[in-house]
Amino acid sequence: MPAPTSKRIRNTQLRRHFIIGNESYVLPHPLFPDPPDGHTKGWKVYVRPLPNGPDMTTWLKKVQLKLHHTYANASRTIEAPGPFEVSETGYGEFGVEIRLYFAPESGEKAVYREHYLVLAPYGTDEQKARQERENLVVSERLETIEFNEPTHDFFKTMVSEDQFEWLKVLEGRGKGRKKELVFHGETEPTAQLPERPIAAVHGDSGTGMAAGGAWSRLYERQVLGQLQQSGASLDQALEHERREMESRRRKMEELGMAVAAK
Amino acid sequence: MAAKAEGPQARRFKKSQFRSHTRPAHWSAEETPIAARPDQLQARRWRRATQGTDEVALPSAKFAKYNVKVEVPIYDDETYEKHLTSTEWTREETDYLITTYREYNGKWPIIADRYEGPRSMEELKARFYHVSATIFGIRTPISGMTAPEFAHYDTLSTFDPAKETARKRLAEGHLQRRQDEVDEETVLLSELQRIMLHQVSLDSEREDLRRRLDHPQANTNGYQYSTSQSLTQLWQQLLAADRLKKNQRLRPTGNSNFDGLPGATPTSARPRDSISGMPGDRRQTRDSLPSATTAQSVLPVDLSKAELSRYGVLINQDKLPSGVTFASDRLSKPRIAKSTLQTDKIAAILTHAGVPELIPLPTPAVIEGFEGVMGKVHALLEMRKLAEKEEQEIRVRMAEAA
Repeated sequence: MPAPTSKRIRNTQLRRHFIIGNESYVLPHPLFPDPPDGHTKGWKVYVRPLPNGPDMTTWLKKVQLKLHHTYANASRTIEAPGPFEVSETGYGEFGVEIRLYFAPESGEKAVYREHYLVLAPYGTDEQKARQERENLVVSERLETIEFNEPTHDFFKTMVSEDQFEWLKVLEGRGKGRKKELVFHGETEPTAQLPERPIAAVHGDSGTGMAAGGAWSRLYERQVLGQLQQSGASLDQALEHERREMESRRRKMEELGMAVAAK
Repeated sequence: MAAKAEGPQARRFKKSQFRSHTRPAHWSAEETPIAARPDQLQARRWRRATQGTDEVALPSAKFAKYNVKVEVPIYDDETYEKHLTSTEWTREETDYLITTYREYNGKWPIIADRYEGPRSMEELKARFYHVSATIFGIRTPISGMTAPEFAHYDTLSTFDPAKETARKRLAEGHLQRRQDEVDEETVLLSELQRIMLHQVSLDSEREDLRRRLDHPQANTNGYQYSTSQSLTQLWQQLLAADRLKKNQRLRPTGNSNFDGLPGATPTSARPRDSISGMPGDRRQTRDSLPSATTAQSVLPVDLSKAELSRYGVLINQDKLPSGVTFASDRLSKPRIAKSTLQTDKIAAILTHAGVPELIPLPTPAVIEGFEGVMGKVHALLEMRKLAEKEEQEIRVRMAEAA
């Protein structure tokens, strides 16, 4: 065994949001030249950080994506820093097993997540129409990874300012001064969700969705609102049940008296 | 021999060289008494006469040497009266026994079989040996006996019929037992052997145990912790050791007098954490309220609130699971119940309420909202189950009332 890990900080948790998802295009598509016969869709499955979040490679060192066994080299391994993506062509949907390997300072074992590769348009009719029009189907999930009781070394790397360097741009500040890393952009980089959806920084495609920009507080509020509505309808159902129970009880009493009278 | 070696004519006379030229012998088959036997039994057998005569000799007694007779104690009336009287045996019976013994050549099984009377073989033996021993003892005084004679005398006189009977019965039982009994015996015997072999070590072990139970001896001096300062030190040591463990059993008192923790950590440039505290800060008074030690002092890097939020650090969390967890699990796991039927019911309620199957945004607020919704779902399920039972009950009563 390697040297014992440094001590863990108790009652502390480190959280990072990241995105697991896939994009899918109907072939032929400029991104996928010369696909083999019978493959109708090109797709890309990826693990990405938030657009304004800290660098993922601080804690994620390697990603292993296990494709369907019919693919050659079904097990694709990608190490930091490269974009953790795999592009392929195919015709069927399947579950991709994603194995995340953490930085050694964390002292954690690798974990598995699954992502179902979606190729066909889904959702409401309007959403489907839009997907077909743009020839882009995106299926994404925001995952929050929680490091419970991190080790000291890991904690230090995770709270250093260097994590945001990938977002910064080298810029000079006038004559004679050294170049500095300065952040350009609308929203301050943070590990929390941004307030509003932001445009992609490493521009893949212009649409905010695919680049992960749709994940924002705005969206969170929408989801919360939805949940509250559901809660309200459930409350109604509960009320209904309670009233039923009352009426039943009354009926039971009547019947009880009727039986006793007999 | 007249052997004429002539041609074929000589063959006629060849037989004659094997022919006896004497006259044939005389054989007689008269009945004669047998010499070796004491009775007058007349036996008939062919006997050849001696050469040249007609006289036939009587059969020889060359087998007489095999007429072995056993030694038998002989006594006269006087000796009998003096030494050999017994309550159980009369004179006649004793004589009869001795005669029988002589007749059957001392073979006890036969003697016992042919003996007329209810006596067992052991009894007969006992009497006979007693008689023999006594006679023998009279003949040759004990001091005058040679070693083998004495041994002989001794065996005769120490014959115990009861023991012999028991022994013979045991031997017979031994012969008759079944295989599993034999196995059981072997096992028990080996056990016994083992116990005997380890007797010594077992005894010493038992002694050891007994000693320990009786009288515990402490090998450290408990008096070194009697002063308050040393007690404080002991407490600090234990607290420090306990803090390193995963499940803390000790709770710090909050008074740094006692806990040995400094008040605030120095700058983040400090390479190691300050868990191995310095001795108590005497400036603080004893009246300070005990407060739970903040975990902030435990972080290697001091962070402001904004920084905590920026880096996604959560502190002062209780009951954290170990290892790495995912927040989205808390949106999917509660939907699954132990049986598929329950899972389906839950799914039905959720869709009816308008909660999507997949919630892609697992932020803490969303998780909280979802848990609230799930609570209501469970409550609804409970109420529906209760409702079914009550309906059933009502139906029964209606049937009764009708």
